Amino acid sequence: MRKKLILVALLLVLALVAVACQPQTVEVTRVVTQTETVEVTRVVTETIEVEGEPVVVTQVVVETVTVEVPAEQPDFGKVVILSTQGVPVEEAEKMRGIVLADFPGEPEFIGVEEPVLLDRVLAEAEAGEGSVDVVIALHGTFPTLQAADALMDLSDLAAELSDRGIPDAFMELGKLGTEDTQYYIPLMQATYIFAANKVALDYLPEGADPDALTWDDIYNWAQNIANETGENKLGFPAGDRGLMHRFLEGYIYPSFTGGMVSNFKSEEAVAMWEFMRNLWQYTNPQSTTYAFMQEQLLSEEVWVAFDHTARLKDAFEQRPDDFIALPSPTGPAGLGFMPVIVGVGIPKNAPNPEGAMEMIRYLLEDETQINILREIGFFPATGVEFPGFVSTGIRLEGEAVAKQAASPNALPALLPVGLGERGGEINKIYRDTFTRIILNGEDIPTVLEEEGAKLQALLEETGAPCWPPDPPSEGACQVR
Amino acid sequence: MSSKRTWFSSRSLLYVVALLIALYILVPIYLITISAFSPRNAVFDYPKPFFPKAFSVETLSFFLNSFGVLESVQMSIIVAILTLVLSLLIGAPAGYTLARYVFVGKDSYRLAILSTRAFPIVILAIPLAVTFIRWDLDDTAIGVALLHTAMALPTTILVTSSVFVSVSKELEEAAMVLGCSRFGAFRRVALPLALPGLAASAIFTFVLSWNEVFAAAILTLQNPTLPARLVVQLNQSPLPFKFAGGFFILVPAIVFMLFVRRYLFTLWGVKLK
Repeated sequence: MRKKLILVALLLVLALVAVACQPQTVEVTRVVTQTETVEVTRVVTETIEVEGEPVVVTQVVVETVTVEVPAEQPDFGKVVILSTQGVPVEEAEKMRGIVLADFPGEPEFIGVEEPVLLDRVLAEAEAGEGSVDVVIALHGTFPTLQAADALMDLSDLAAELSDRGIPDAFMELGKLGTEDTQYYIPLMQATYIFAANKVALDYLPEGADPDALTWDDIYNWAQNIANETGENKLGFPAGDRGLMHRFLEGYIYPSFTGGMVSNFKSEEAVAMWEFMRNLWQYTNPQSTTYAFMQEQLLSEEVWVAFDHTARLKDAFEQRPDDFIALPSPTGPAGLGFMPVIVGVGIPKNAPNPEGAMEMIRYLLEDETQINILREIGFFPATGVEFPGFVSTGIRLEGEAVAKQAASPNALPALLPVGLGERGGEINKIYRDTFTRIILNGEDIPTVLEEEGAKLQALLEETGAPCWPPDPPSEGACQVR
Repeated sequence: MSSKRTWFSSRSLLYVVALLIALYILVPIYLITISAFSPRNAVFDYPKPFFPKAFSVETLSFFLNSFGVLESVQMSIIVAILTLVLSLLIGAPAGYTLARYVFVGKDSYRLAILSTRAFPIVILAIPLAVTFIRWDLDDTAIGVALLHTAMALPTTILVTSSVFVSVSKELEEAAMVLGCSRFGAFRRVALPLALPGLAASAIFTFVLSWNEVFAAAILTLQNPTLPARLVVQLNQSPLPFKFAGGFFILVPAIVFMLFVRRYLFTLWGVKLK
């Protein structure tokens, strides 16, 4: 009995091993011919008159006819998409069920975090054998892949798609600083804005225009709320998984100093940090645990919050009547804001490059672009007109995004460029500076001097020239 | 002084401490559970009512039906069982050897086993993935199981060796005197006695494989294990899904623990008979 049991167990294990080792086959079926030649037999019946009498003559004729096969949907086979965007459960489901549903083929959408995407694509490039067809990631992810020569040149596809209304500046970004190699094609964009509970509007400082706030207005606003309700209702995503570093890099630094890195330790920067310190008194201290401000907005733990549009979307979607979207505030140097570009590229050894190309064409169609906005909250990269097609909540966000970009003193700040694999380190420098000055209360000039030195070292070691909004530089960008 | 002693001997302090420890574990589990079964909006209620006002399985069922979750459960089970079998097949004989025989370099061997844990998997990720892709092990259950086995082996070997040490050597010798072969004595005497201990070490292996995220995320693409799929997704998901997912990961672990409680106590030093 026991022997039999052991035998059965062993067999089971063997079966498991066999199942586990089974090679995975990818079937790619494609319809190549659009026209077909067919042999047709035709029976021709004629009535002819022979000497006045009608005679029926039947003839069998064999003919070859070329027929146009009605546009049978071509099948582009399995296309594996590896993406760092649209990862959360619901968004991934919407990508699969709605956004990618009409693709003529078998799309497989896999959401991963950035390190995993990089490891996977780099490993496949090195092994010379790929399984990923399409990569969707932030602009900042691509330079690492470019450095490993892991991406296909998409110049031809870019030329073909030039009628989709993708801004030239975005297309240029996809070349990653090269002259004529298109490493990625811009797919969608996002940015960061302020969102506010309408209750908070009662506390707006007098004369402040919600569509054109200044940083001082934000300060007075938070102060009013705190004085009158006794609670700090302003919130920032300063938790571990929050995007506080973007706030520092792309919003408050450019607004006060006109640049992201070059004025890192300038007098203006010192003034900015003093302002931040004051503002922090009226900021919810729980901010250091926040990551997705939509959650605190919905729970009404905060009334006014700054975050990524996709991380505020739930609040606007669930209660569009309760929240308003506000363009970012203006500071002494202008309105700093950070457009986030998400691009789509193809790894060099993608198993199904035709399918991948078709996927990019599909993703940039008007309908897909609107679906992306509607379902996962990223704004189109193409020139498609969307306001008629989306919910009130998203339209609200869209208006704030548009106002922010169209502001006369706008200072668009790009995500750090040219740092390669060390792109994450710059975020750490900004976050460390924030922690030391605001949370630990250290001396501002000292901290700026020390962290500025680290920033300079990073720029020198990578040789990264300045990127907008900082003025262009010869050689590595210099911190002043 | 004497009143203090009565206080202790009355054991009430013990019960208070036990109660506190139990609450420390149970309250979060309770909150996760009620949040998992609440409608989406109720999750954001603040302050949270201790008894849920409404009941809904909306997020939980969305979660269960979302793409690939069931396949991932299947994958996780296959990987965990393979890991368990492989690590016992390799680890138990090694543990037995360490327990029974004296050989040159035994101590350094014991140390060398532990040293495999010294290499952080993060650094090995790319070379490992490259090798696995070249060997066609990439994205398969056996590939992940091999890596998990490598991670589990040090613990398996050391635990099984201590289990075999506690099985008296004389019993095996007696069996051999009575006609068993060397292997027969192991199989008929030592193995049955060590079985509870081996089961306990197998459980640790199983749990390690069940919870492992990083290696599984790097080595799989279209067939990820449950944690590899969930942890990434949940990290970036709204709160209601975090509760649903948390509940979903918790339950199998609790059920599993209930079943294997007995063996765990064995591992914690209850004497083998």
